[in-house]
Amino acid sequence: MAPKKDPKAPAKKAEPAPAPAPAPEPAAAPAAPKIDLSAVKLEFTPDQVEDYREAFGLFDRVGDNKVAYNQIADIMRALGQNPTNKEVNKILGNPTAEDMANKRVEFEGFLPMLQTVINNPNKAGYEDYVEGLRVFDKEGNGTVMGAELRIVLSTLGEKMSETEIDSLMAGQEDENGCVNYEAFVKHIMSV
Amino acid sequence: MDCHNEECSRPQEEEDIMDIPLDDPEANRAAAKIQAGFRGHMTRKKLKPEDKAEGEERQEDRGQ
Repeated sequence: MAPKKDPKAPAKKAEPAPAPAPAPEPAAAPAAPKIDLSAVKLEFTPDQVEDYREAFGLFDRVGDNKVAYNQIADIMRALGQNPTNKEVNKILGNPTAEDMANKRVEFEGFLPMLQTVINNPNKAGYEDYVEGLRVFDKEGNGTVMGAELRIVLSTLGEKMSETEIDSLMAGQEDENGCVNYEAFVKHIMSV
Repeated sequence: MDCHNEECSRPQEEEDIMDIPLDDPEANRAAAKIQAGFRGHMTRKKLKPEDKAEGEERQEDRGQ
């Protein structure tokens, strides 16, 4: 799984202020390679756009037809995507914690963000998840220890909280505390 | 560490910490992908019973 840095736009470090239409306020000095959302071609059907608009509206708690940066990942998840937090941060232009809480984006600005995630060639499928978990299958018998999986989820990658892990693992461990990871992945992918 | 040779019948949380490849970029990348899938699943599962904006309440868990 070769990591990809620039899905669409070339890295333009010298660009002062691109001012793309969707973003509420362009960053002053883009340090990391930014994605040019205004260059993203939308490939949604009208029906899809309406579905997305509806989901988007559900997340608007303020009533200004916008959602906060820190809601973007969840809306994408609600719409069937599985972006990493890092991916979302990159799409949002590496916002500060303050940006995440305070900046808001309207629906039209959200669509190219969603398209970018959808276009990501590194998206994981069933095999990727199974392979990833297989790394921790010490006996090579199709199971991982629930306890070890919990530790991995809380210490590696984009660490998960205990609450998240408990929620995720509920009912997944057998009487020996083991998880059959192929079944687990199928379960994960069923929603 | 060869305590894993029998079936998973014992919780060995503390010993396993030694085996976790904390600095391995591949392992971290794989973990992040898995976690992304898990988070996606959990968000969708949460939103299923009622179509409310409950996803917002999960945000504190996603802090980095």
